Amino acid sequence: MDYILDLGAVTRNMDQLWQGLGVTLLLTLAANAIGIVAGFGLALLVLNRLAIIRIPAMLFVEFFRCTPALIQIVWFFYCVPMLFNVFLDPITMGILALGLNLTAFNAEAYRAAIQGVPREHLDAGIALGLSPAQRILNIVLPQALRNSVPVLLTNGIGIFQQSALVAIVGVADLMYQGKTLATETYRPIETFTVVALIYLAISFPVSQFVGWLERRRGYAVR
Amino acid sequence: MTAPIASAPLLCIRDLHKSYGEHIKVLQGLNIEMKPGERVVVIGPSGGGKSTLLRVVMGLEQIQAGSVSLGGKPYIDARGRKTVIDTELRRKIGMVFQHYTLFPHLSIMENLVLAPRKVNAESRASATERGRKILDRFGLAAKADAYPSQLSGGQKQRVAIARALMLDPQLMLFDEVTSALDPELVAEVEAVILQLAEQGMPMMMVTHDMWFARNVASRVIFCAGGVVVEDGPPEQVLGHPREERTREFINRVFHIKT
Repeated sequence: MDYILDLGAVTRNMDQLWQGLGVTLLLTLAANAIGIVAGFGLALLVLNRLAIIRIPAMLFVEFFRCTPALIQIVWFFYCVPMLFNVFLDPITMGILALGLNLTAFNAEAYRAAIQGVPREHLDAGIALGLSPAQRILNIVLPQALRNSVPVLLTNGIGIFQQSALVAIVGVADLMYQGKTLATETYRPIETFTVVALIYLAISFPVSQFVGWLERRRGYAVR
Repeated sequence: MTAPIASAPLLCIRDLHKSYGEHIKVLQGLNIEMKPGERVVVIGPSGGGKSTLLRVVMGLEQIQAGSVSLGGKPYIDARGRKTVIDTELRRKIGMVFQHYTLFPHLSIMENLVLAPRKVNAESRASATERGRKILDRFGLAAKADAYPSQLSGGQKQRVAIARALMLDPQLMLFDEVTSALDPELVAEVEAVILQLAEQGMPMMMVTHDMWFARNVASRVIFCAGGVVVEDGPPEQVLGHPREERTREFINRVFHIKT
């Protein structure tokens, strides 16, 4: 193979990649803000006793869990403007698409954490005379929120990686900038390697942190 | 020559029926009257309805028929398909469970003061003060700021008892509180219950520890098939049972060959 690696082609154009990373981080943080808040609300709907509330919420969750994220993004970009006659800038559309996807996954994380609070703790709450609202506020939620943190972080960093999919609809994120740079410089190996390393450099510490949290939690539960 | 008020029942369980679904009938017309100061130990084969009985008295279960009164006032009543529960009266009963139920996100002291503060609107200072006294009594003063995960099973159960006492219950229920413990931790929990017994705390408990039952009980009830089969002082029910079913059970659990 007579291909000679030349990282200079990439390092000379890092500004372009940093710009893309800025967009990627914006997408990630905004989608997480939506997913963490709306996911909790959705979990409460999924756990609702009334079928008329519960079933649509479950369908929403299953739609996002059972279709490829790529389809969701493409569908959002092409179909929403046509169906509802709303035209938003690409970044906002990307945030909404990723945010709704994350909302569905986080709702599952919250639901599992809420249902994971031992029944006996609720019995003890009744025996202590706490009202249903007091039991939820003082016993269920603090434990559920704590237990859901590792999954929320895992989902959050998952969305950071999934956000690369919005490059396909022209959002100028890290992936998009990398693709552009690779085309302009004819240096796909160097460019995509550096882009991958940037994703890794951000994901890896977070996933290590999640691992540490879970080990600590495992210790705490014992 | 007992005053009428003293002989009035503390707890009155009448004609209790409880089933899970259509076919599993756990309680089938159970009656118990408990006087103030009595320490009732409920024994019997598994599936005989012992734990269910305690859970019903605590108001944790729906019942199909019957009622439970505390101090002459009914607080659990089956009306049609609904079980009506007076939560004000229910609060006067404390319960400790088989599995540890300390809230893991709260420190020991926070576990103790949660209900007094939320339910009785007691000040933090006053509740903490009382909490310290109870922990001190139970030899747990040093653990006030620890978290449940840092405690042994025996310590956790003692804290659970302390937590229930924070609400000044008129009756304590103990549902197999030593069953989940390692054998060497059982004694410290039983010692705390004996301490309460000596102070005259009325209690109803389910236990598989017959030796402890004999030590703590003023009365033993043998429950099987969802009804009371035999009811009397521990010397009778545990020592010289009158009913054939009780005798069989006692022989089996004491490993006496016949």
